[in-house]
Parts: sequence; structure tokens; C-alpha cells
Amino acid sequence: MAAVKDSGFEALEKLKSTEPPVFLAPSSISEVARVASQYLFTKLKPHNPKSPFDELLVDGFDAEQIWQQIDMQSQPLLSSLRHEVKRFAKNPKEIRKIGGLAAEASLEGDVDEMDMDDDNDVEDDDDELEAVESGGEEEEEDGEDEEEEEDGEDEEEEEDEEEESEEENEGIEDKFFKIKDLEDFLEEGEAQEYEDFFGGKKKETKRTMKDVIEDEEAGDGNQGTEKLSTHEKELLKLQSKIEQMEKANLDPKHWTMQGEVTATKRPKNSALEVDLDFEHNARPPPVITEEVTASLEDMIKSRIIEVTATKRPKNSALEVDLDFEHNARPPPVITEEVTASLEDMIKSRIIEARFDDVQRAPSLPTKSKREAKELDDSKSKKGLAEVYEEEYVQKSNPAFAPATFSDELKKEASMLFKKLCLKLDALSHFHFTPKPVIEEMSIQTNVPAIAMEEVAPVAVSDAAMLAPEEIFAGTGKIKDESELTQEERKRRRAKKKRKFKGKAVNNIMLVVRRTAYIVIVIVSNMFYMSLVEQLNLQIIR
Amino acid sequence: MEIQSATEPESLPAKPIFKPLKAHEMSDGSVQFRKVSVPPNRYSPLEKAWLDIYPPVYHQMKVDIRMNRGSRKVELKTLADTPDVSYLQKSADFVHAFMLGFDIPDAISLLRVDELYVESFEIKDVKTLKGEHLSRAIGRLSGKGGKTKSAIENSTKTRIVIADTRIHILGAFSNIKIARDSLSSLIMGSPAGKVYSKLRAASARLAERF
Repeated sequence: MAAVKDSGFEALEKLKSTEPPVFLAPSSISEVARVASQYLFTKLKPHNPKSPFDELLVDGFDAEQIWQQIDMQSQPLLSSLRHEVKRFAKNPKEIRKIGGLAAEASLEGDVDEMDMDDDNDVEDDDDELEAVESGGEEEEEDGEDEEEEEDGEDEEEEEDEEEESEEENEGIEDKFFKIKDLEDFLEEGEAQEYEDFFGGKKKETKRTMKDVIEDEEAGDGNQGTEKLSTHEKELLKLQSKIEQMEKANLDPKHWTMQGEVTATKRPKNSALEVDLDFEHNARPPPVITEEVTASLEDMIKSRIIEVTATKRPKNSALEVDLDFEHNARPPPVITEEVTASLEDMIKSRIIEARFDDVQRAPSLPTKSKREAKELDDSKSKKGLAEVYEEEYVQKSNPAFAPATFSDELKKEASMLFKKLCLKLDALSHFHFTPKPVIEEMSIQTNVPAIAMEEVAPVAVSDAAMLAPEEIFAGTGKIKDESELTQEERKRRRAKKKRKFKGKAVNNIMLVVRRTAYIVIVIVSNMFYMSLVEQLNLQIIR
Repeated sequence: MEIQSATEPESLPAKPIFKPLKAHEMSDGSVQFRKVSVPPNRYSPLEKAWLDIYPPVYHQMKVDIRMNRGSRKVELKTLADTPDVSYLQKSADFVHAFMLGFDIPDAISLLRVDELYVESFEIKDVKTLKGEHLSRAIGRLSGKGGKTKSAIENSTKTRIVIADTRIHILGAFSNIKIARDSLSSLIMGSPAGKVYSKLRAASARLAERF
């Protein structure tokens, strides 16, 4: 291979040295070109593991076929070379890493070039042969080949340089995944943020230590991650905002937000800048003018003094506009007409007997006196057992409760009266009135309506039940003996005395009247008797 | 757990229903006694009223009753068919009330009505009175012809027995209280009229109570 290499290298050198017009004409330079191209192919083979050819097959192939082989090898190489070029364009520092290898690569690249040239020459020879046979077409093809060769040479140089650096990462890398591409992207992103936060690198000198540290941290971060996703960018923005707000909270507040602030606590003339708005509780002091004082004085004068007629000058009340309320109607002016109308009214009223007397409030018609438990002084005829028996019966079955004492009295009284009435009617009317049927009397027992309603006895009608007013008359404010105050006791006693006195006076009057009557009767009798006696005496005489 | 509770009521026997014990069963077949002593002043009234005492006790209460002349005691004894132990006690109370001085119709109420009690107290419990004052107090208590006493009895539904310096009141608890208050006020010296007015109020209140 060394001989081949050398030959290839020589062929390349030869191609380089030949002048351009030589390529246009068919010459023996095609052999040289084939050898050179073969050399280049074998040189590039390690960088292209996927190519099916181990070496460029030149013998018996025409130019087109040789070109196809070269194309198959060079296409992927070209794309990778483009990537590498872009990378180096953005970060020229990378190139220094490959600095050491570059010198070696360049040498090898030259050797490859030479091989490629030889190969191309070989192709050209074949082509020329065919061209001779076919005609002038081969010249064009040669020209094309040559142009392509030149292009290929340039690209191959670049490919070589980049391929050397690629050799390092061949283990992980693929056509799709290149770590260097990832690193490039991250660094891109960081570089952008770097510019966003700190406005580029221009303001380095002005920043404080803190910022420098932050820059260093950011820088450290930047070194690791250049390209960030949108989500990560947003997160970083949020974090920065949070940091700003936290910083604002920790700092001491502005004086307007500090509550009660006196003049010493706020900076000078700061109240002028702030738009203060507070309620004015006190009215602004009134503006004192002569008019105001005059009116005030008048008011005071008028209010202070109650002036009687002697204290004010004569007829002065006429001048002043007095204003006071008239509580009483003005007394009516008495004229003949007024009196006449009044008298007419009085007369008519008398005739009608329509006196506006105060009427007593009508009492309830069937107001039954409360069952006054009269203290019975006599020894009770019923035994205690019977008493409790009655009580129990009343409680349990109110309908069948025996009539109370007053009920019996009432019954008896009404019976007696009916008999009396019957007799009187019979005596007074010419036409005989038959004995009336004594209707059944319904006994109104003083029993709570609820009990009656519950039992619902048929015999008792609802109408017979007593209304609450009939059971108890008066307000609910009943005071026990012990609750009465001294005044109330006195009042009660006085009332009792008055009532009793009234009764007593009536009694006394009754007694007096009766005695007087009797006396008169006696006296008259006596007088009559004496008269009769006198008459008798006279008659006798 | 649920399965157990579902089966439990079936497995347990039915709740036993016991009839109330008769007097004899309570004391395991032995007879219960009560003995009421007869004061000498009540001996002859007892003889007269025996025919009123004996039937209700023996026939209604199913309590055996006899008079022990030797020991001057009325003895009561449960029979086999005495329905309840309390019957014996009620009968004893009835007899005792008679001994205190209450009439038969009043004392019978003890048998018929539950919650009736007899309360006794002495005049000296209220106020120490001696000689004439004591006599006057007793006179005040009963009133003219017993009308004050009757008034109290009628208004409070109680029965009062004034035996010299001892006072017995028979009636329901609250009624006894009112009667006792009235009697105490009389002993203390208040006039009858005042007591009457208080009684009126109290009785009205009692009557309205339901």
C-alpha cells in the first residue's frame, strides 16, 4: 500500500502541477487522475463506514460508473461536513481542540487528494478512450468530471478536518443524534438568556459583586446548558420574578404604607408629592365678616331676653315680627248670631234627648261571677273521701261532675221564680195561659273549654261553655299579698274603706229613713188617734 | 357481627313477665303483722265504730283485723290472698288515723285515695305558750263553734283534729301545708279574719289547679 500511496500521492501532485488546459484535451493525464482518485477514496474510506466499496473500482469502468462510486461515498460526508462547519462558525474555540490533529490531517488529506486525482485521471483515460470512439461528448464529460473533481477536492479538505474531530465521538453518535449538536443548542439558549438578563456583556464593569457572582453562576450554568426549552425559559423567568418580589417584601416599606407617619418619619416635602385624601370632619372655620357678626348679634339679642310689655317701648311689638306658636284657639267672638245658633242647638238637643253623656262600658251579658269559694264555716257534711272522690271525678270526667253549690242555688232560684211568674200570669190575664213546659236547663259548669272539647260529650253544647272573660275578669297583673308595696297596701285599704263607707252610709241612711218613717207613722197614728178621740169626745158630748 | 345479631333475638327466650308478689310470697310465705295501740279515750269509740272499721278492712283490703283486748291493740295480719303489701300498711294507717281522732268517713279516705298523709305537730312546736295563752290559742284555733277549724277544713280539703295541745291534719301534701300555715298563723296570734282572707286566696289557687 505504501507504493500505491506513494504513487497515488505522486499522481495527485502531478495533477496539481498540470495546467488547466491540459485537462480539456484527452491525454495520458487520465491514468494519473484515476490513480489519484483511488488514493483519495481509500483515504476517505475510514470516515465512511457505510459505503459498500472498499476501494474505488477503476479498471474496466467508465467515467460515469467511477463518478457514482465517489458520489456514494461523498454524500453523507458532505452533510456531516456542513454541520461541522456551522459549529465551528459559531464557536471558533472548538477548532483549537482539534489543532494538534489538524497538521496530521492536512498531510493525509493531501495524500488522499493525490489518490483521488489519480483515480480521476484513470477515469478520464477511460473516458477519453470512449470519447475518441464516440466523439466530442467526452470532452464535456471530462470537463464536468474535472469541475466535479475540483469541487470534490475542496469539500474533501473540509470533510477531512471535521472528520478527525468526529472520530472521537463515533461510539454514541448516529446520523440523528450528535452530542455536539445538543451542546451547541444548549449553549445557544444560554447565550440568549445571558443577553436578556444582563443586557449583553457591555455592562460588566458597572455591576456589583453580587451581580458578578450571579454572572459567574449563570456563566457556569451557561457553560453547561446553552439551549433551553420554552418551559425551562418560563420557569427561569418566574423564578426571577419571585426573587424580585421577595426582595421587595424584605425591604422596609415606603412611608405612605407605614401607617401613622409623623413629619419626622417621612422625608422632607414628601407629603406634597403624594395625593393625600382624607375626610374633613370639622367644618372649615367660618369666614367672619361684618354681616355674619351682625346677624349673630341680632339672634342673640332676640333670644336672650324675655321681654314684658313694661320693658319694651310702647308699640314696639308691632314692629318686630313675632313668631310663636298659638296653642289655644282664639276665644270666639260673641255675636248675637252665634248665641242664637248655640241656643237653637241646645233646644234641639233637649227635644231629641241626645245628650252626649259618658256611657259606661257595657259589661258582658252572661258574665258569671267567678265561683267564689265562699268560706263555709259550717262543719262539712261530706267526708274527706267523698270530697276527694268528687275532685277526682271532676278531673277525669268533667261532664258528669256534680253541680256546684252556686249552680244549685241558681237552679232553685230560677225554679221558684218560674212558679211565681206562672201564678201571676194566671191571675193577670183574662185568658188562661197553660202551664209552660219547663225547658231543660243547661248547667254552665265553670270548666275549661279544652276539657269539654276533648271529651266531647253529646249532652253539652259548646254554647254553654264559659268564655275566659267570664271565668276571670281583670288584667293578668295579680300581685300576691307579699308582693304589694306599702303604697299599694295603703291604696287597697283606702279603697276598701271608701267602699265600705259608701255601703255604711247607705245603711245608715236606710236606717234613718226607716226610723223616720216609723216615727212619722207613729206620730201620725198618734195624731189620728188623738183626733179620733177628740171627735169621739165631741160626739159624746 | 350482623349475622349474629340477626340470630340473637331468635335464640333468646321471651322476656319473662312476673306478676307482682303477694304479701305472702314476698315474705316467703310468712305472715306480716301490724299492731296499732288504742289510747284509752278512743277505746269506747272504737267499740262503737268497730262495725264500720271491720268490713272495709277485711273485705276490701283482704287484711285480717282483730282487737286484742288484753294488750289493748288492734292487730292486722296479711291473708294468703292479700293482693299487695301496701294494703296492710294502708289498713294500719286507717286504724291509726281513727285512733288519733278522725272520723270513720274521713279516715276511710286513706284507704281509698293514695297520697294522703297524716301530719301531727304540737302547739309548742310553733310557739311556747303557757297557761291562759295556751288556752286562748286553742280557742283561736277552733274558733266559735269550731267555725274557724271548719273553714280551714273546707277551704283546704283536709281534716283537722285538735287534741288538747296536739294537732293532727289529714289530707294531701300541699293541702296539709296550707292548713298548717293557717294554723301556725292562728297560734302565733293573727285574728281569724286575716286567716280567712289568706285561705280564700289559697283555696282559689288550689281549685284552679288542674
